[in-house]
Amino acid sequence: MLEDQDMSAQEAAAVVQDARVRARRELVISAPLVYTAWGLVWLLGYGAMWLSVRGQHPYSGPSGVSVAVVFVLAGFAVAAVVVIVSRAAAGIDGQSVRYRNIILRTYATGYLILLCAQIAIKSSVSTRTYAFVAFAAPLLLGGLTYILASALGRNRTAFVLGAWLVIASASCAWQAPAAILATCALAGGGACLLAAVIETRLHAHDR
Amino acid sequence: MTAENGLDPVIHGAVRLRVMVTLATLRDGDNLSFTRLQELLGVTPGNLITHLRKLEDAGYVTTVKSGGGVNARTSVSLSQQGRKALDTYTAVLRQLLDSASTNGTRPH
Repeated sequence: MLEDQDMSAQEAAAVVQDARVRARRELVISAPLVYTAWGLVWLLGYGAMWLSVRGQHPYSGPSGVSVAVVFVLAGFAVAAVVVIVSRAAAGIDGQSVRYRNIILRTYATGYLILLCAQIAIKSSVSTRTYAFVAFAAPLLLGGLTYILASALGRNRTAFVLGAWLVIASASCAWQAPAAILATCALAGGGACLLAAVIETRLHAHDR
Repeated sequence: MTAENGLDPVIHGAVRLRVMVTLATLRDGDNLSFTRLQELLGVTPGNLITHLRKLEDAGYVTTVKSGGGVNARTSVSLSQQGRKALDTYTAVLRQLLDSASTNGTRPH
């Protein structure tokens, strides 16, 4: 390895570029992978639920198989995110780690509260209200989490994605259950996958 | 302190340059463990200690030891002064490369 003043400017520039690419690959959480994991949950999982309720008269809710698909995909997404985050965060400590833990705990707590709310209100509200809480509220929670995370990472894509998910989930308040599922699958999943493509292209020059 | 070509001689060494660029990837207020840094750079502990000492003496990095026994951890972070020095270094480097490409010469 070249040392001290032996390096020419070109060699130094190559060292900078190489070190930057390696550090980004190893130490920065891959946003495209995280967006893709959750995008597939929304698009395929909620898409499957939507297909299972299409044409239902009267509406009786998504099939057990489609609900199972969502849980299996969500399980894979959680596992993938845990691996991605732990690999990138290994050896790093400090403010951003503390903020990230706060955001993740807030999301997990919010999701648990939503699950409890679903169970509590199931028999006492209309199917439309229940569908909003069960399907659109997790999208709202995801959107708010991305907005919070964007402040930490100063990431514009995460902010725009979060804002879009909040708007998409809010629009579900005026929709029927089947349309809520379609909105979650297409506006939610589609936006996450689009964000993955945008982030990949934005950082293409880093590789 | 600057060398003839204007590049900061404290940073202008392959290992120290890699250390600075790697630490600059972290967010303000974050630090990296010595072991992870060593693993990323692929250098021996002794070699890394020598270079970190030079950077620390210049005020560019801060090392903090915490814990004890099996929980002992040495963390390394870039100081504000170090971040500014790296920005200046890369700006000078860019100028050297730009002027070399204009003149058709190889900068040293």
